[in-house]
Amino acid sequence: MTLFDVVFSGNDTVYGLTEGAIDAAIEKHGADKAIAFPDTAYSLPCYYAVTGTKVATLGQLKEALGVVKTLMTREPRLNDAFMSGIATALCAEFIEVLKYIDGALPYEAPCYGHLADAVIRELGVPLVTGDIPGVAVILGSAPTAQEGVDLVKSYQAQGILVTLVGGIIDQCEELGYKTGANVRVIPLGKDVTSVIHVVSVAVRAALIFGNIQPGDAAGLMKYTMERVPAFVNAFAPLDPVIVACGAGAIALGFPVVTNEETFRVPKSLIVQKDVSKFNATSLEARDIKIKITHIDIPVAFASAFEGEIIRRGDMQVEFDGSRVDCCELVMTKEASEIEDHKITLIGPDIDEMPVGSKQSICYVVEVAGKSMQSDFEPVFERKFHSYLNCVEGMMHTGQRDMIRIRISKDTYEAGFRAKHIGEVLYAKVKSEFAAVVDKCQVTVYTDPAECTRIRHEVAMPLFDKRDERLTTLTDEGVDVYYSCIMCQAFSPSHVCVVTPERLGLCGAVSWLDAKATNELDPQGPCQIITKERPIDERIGEYEDVNEAVQRFSQGALEDVSLYSIIEKPMTSCGCFECICGIEPLSNGVCIANREYAGMTPIGMTFSELASMTGGGVQTPGFMGHGKHFIASKKFMKAEGGVARIVWMPKELKDQVAERLNETAKELYGIENFADMIADETIAEDPETLLAYLEEKGHPALSMEPMM
Amino acid sequence: MPFTPKSGKFNASINTVEIGTGDKAVKIGGENVFPLYSFDAPIENAPKVGIEITDFGMEHELECIKKYYEGCTTLAEIAAKAASMEGVDFLSFRMEGGDPNGANKSTEELIGELKEIAAAVDLPLVVCGCKNAEKDAELFNAAAAALEGKNAVILSAKEENYKTVGAAAGLAYKQVVGAESAVDINLAKQLNVLLSQLGVDKKSIVMNVGTAAAGYGFEYVISTMDRVKAAALQQGDVNLQMPIITPVASETWGVKEAMSSEADSPEWGSQEERGIDMEIETAMAVIAAGSNAVILKHPESIKTISGLMKELV
Repeated sequence: MTLFDVVFSGNDTVYGLTEGAIDAAIEKHGADKAIAFPDTAYSLPCYYAVTGTKVATLGQLKEALGVVKTLMTREPRLNDAFMSGIATALCAEFIEVLKYIDGALPYEAPCYGHLADAVIRELGVPLVTGDIPGVAVILGSAPTAQEGVDLVKSYQAQGILVTLVGGIIDQCEELGYKTGANVRVIPLGKDVTSVIHVVSVAVRAALIFGNIQPGDAAGLMKYTMERVPAFVNAFAPLDPVIVACGAGAIALGFPVVTNEETFRVPKSLIVQKDVSKFNATSLEARDIKIKITHIDIPVAFASAFEGEIIRRGDMQVEFDGSRVDCCELVMTKEASEIEDHKITLIGPDIDEMPVGSKQSICYVVEVAGKSMQSDFEPVFERKFHSYLNCVEGMMHTGQRDMIRIRISKDTYEAGFRAKHIGEVLYAKVKSEFAAVVDKCQVTVYTDPAECTRIRHEVAMPLFDKRDERLTTLTDEGVDVYYSCIMCQAFSPSHVCVVTPERLGLCGAVSWLDAKATNELDPQGPCQIITKERPIDERIGEYEDVNEAVQRFSQGALEDVSLYSIIEKPMTSCGCFECICGIEPLSNGVCIANREYAGMTPIGMTFSELASMTGGGVQTPGFMGHGKHFIASKKFMKAEGGVARIVWMPKELKDQVAERLNETAKELYGIENFADMIADETIAEDPETLLAYLEEKGHPALSMEPMM
Repeated sequence: MPFTPKSGKFNASINTVEIGTGDKAVKIGGENVFPLYSFDAPIENAPKVGIEITDFGMEHELECIKKYYEGCTTLAEIAAKAASMEGVDFLSFRMEGGDPNGANKSTEELIGELKEIAAAVDLPLVVCGCKNAEKDAELFNAAAAALEGKNAVILSAKEENYKTVGAAAGLAYKQVVGAESAVDINLAKQLNVLLSQLGVDKKSIVMNVGTAAAGYGFEYVISTMDRVKAAALQQGDVNLQMPIITPVASETWGVKEAMSSEADSPEWGSQEERGIDMEIETAMAVIAAGSNAVILKHPESIKTISGLMKELV
């Protein structure tokens, strides 16, 4: 028998039973006898939602059964199986409504049977907010009562709403396990048809919360698939009726997990022999993420501890990347390679380390997720500093393989051990990056040989690969740029256009950061800007960029160029790391960084320049930018590039010299270009500056006039 | 050359949102011109004025407010009295006592009071919270259920609790959902988008884009409202076309100009007059910047603003 045959035969069986039951009821009560579920405005909710027709009498029910029959096509195709599944569910609803004839109370405690609309409104809100992250439907009897109760308990602990059908109800009773709507474990009924009462919940949720119109079957299935995070756990043995019901569940988007060796349908009908793994398998299949609100460590975790310094005398142990092999690393893996929340320690724990000693540590956080991209790895890694510092009595500095961590004696005595580092990283990565991380595991290495191996054989090659990617990321090489309007709160018309070669002017938002921000918060400050319609490649002007800027500035800005300081320059909010301004006498530009308090040859200090440049207005001849942009090949590309830089404060020059020299060598073949640039120790006025530039043969002097 | 006046009417308009039910229901929004520019095109719904009462009744009120409620002992009586004041279009009930860092009244107690008030008046209702996002989520969830069928405004959902408030008020019980953001057009828009994605009808959302008392960082408030209306009308941004409702009383009756006693600041003159002035000035300014409704406290301010609206629109 194929799976289709099983579904069809199960469907036929239920249909036969339903027809018999309706006929018998008509015989007994007459066709005009009223039928209804109590406390609902949605008639027979499933039938009403699918067809848009309300059924009020036995006669109408008989007609409805005729409609159901039309769904029961028998081609061996997926759609026929799904429709037969739906038909089975509707038959179940018909059988159930007959139980309520004459206002009967067919269910007695602990079973609930039909659930009132009020219950759905009440459950619907936490379902929509994710406070109830999922709905489990457990069907049949677990291999042992204990296994059944353990499964129920595991869902309950995650806040998942559990509904029970059949033998599992007796198993819970047998072990005295508490059930009821108040503890979110709802026994529905012992007949398999009572499963319809949870389907009815999902369907009414779609009508109430999804504004789905009755009769819009396609819209209904889309809603339940996308928004009702339900799944079925069906215990062996499965009979054709259960399989047919299962087909109905799958049609609504609810995967079925079973421990019976049966047909497998990827992501829909899943065989999991080990009942203790039903929970993990179901959550993964239905893509349910459990919110993490608690970090399991023996000390406090708060931003108040972020700046805490741990002195040598107070420290229990130190991990020091400058002396021994250490590193922190995020790696993207396939979901199947990761066991969520697995935390492994390889090497000695803190209590085996001498007090005050220097030790090796590497912690590798492996993540998987459908929307995860390896470009996000460094974005997560940069947050580790803040996460670990938030632990009471823990100090973290540096990044990559140059980290230093100190753990205080008090924190050690409170019970803090190496695995707790894993707990912190797990909890924070899972909660803060929930949009892209589905599963996460952490391995903490303290074994010196392993740390050496991880650092040199795993981490360093990966860091090199990332650096390589960063340097090869060019504006031309990507399809989209990003907006950043984080600063509009105080600079309402300013829009940063962030490109791989031009980071945000604050210096804090690179193209990769903007990309990650967009992915993690799709409605947030960083939105995708396409660049498909260039207007002028020389100054970097695009129709689509202009349209985006107009939109994000609410019409305040018409057009911007990405590479010019003179023509339609990009605006500045006020957070710029540096300001660049034209110095007319030398035909070049001077750059001042925020930290520099002195005078520039332009005749203005940084703050005076800032007052001209900020506020989201375009000021030709002035531009705010990040430090990193100085060595970019796109820096003032329209005006000739970095060769225009004639002056910057010494401290800034030292910071950027190496990269700037490389750029100048590549663009103009000039060696040691930074030495041609003056600083405050050489000149603070235009005349002295010009004399110095002439002496050095600075290229700006022979370039075309900027204005 | 003759002067030809050009109409500043836009193709886009602010959504019309009805609050309350029956004869006393009011409509806010609907205009396709800048605030009060009735010379460019008729403005169908003049800005509306609400009166605020809190769960503390008259307990924390100044003498100048108390005197209007003489003889009222229960919240229901206070509500009925408030509803009868001249110029009042709707009643706003602020559940101030719910704040866990304050009186920490239980949700049951506050919802019980809300029900008493709802039974005592037939004006449209606006329900305000205690400013604690977590408690507000709980309060608004219960309030939305308690006021089922009343088409009340739940003021409001914030970024921290929009899912609960949006689902309860907007989806389960079909109330009007207030969307509150802190004086930033992008945050205002983002919250509207998030609420719509949750399934809340854009036409059932009103915004509280944040406010302050005049003189207290107020220019930010005005420029935010200006920009919201410009984006909604000039750029036709459907995610900003929700009408704005601004609680004024809770801001202005907390600043020193209104609260400093005559004994402390004799040179400032009558405390009552100062309080009224602050309230009227702030209310008129936010209306001129785009608020479609304001919530006030002093009956004199309400009479003045509602009178002004009759003259201006």
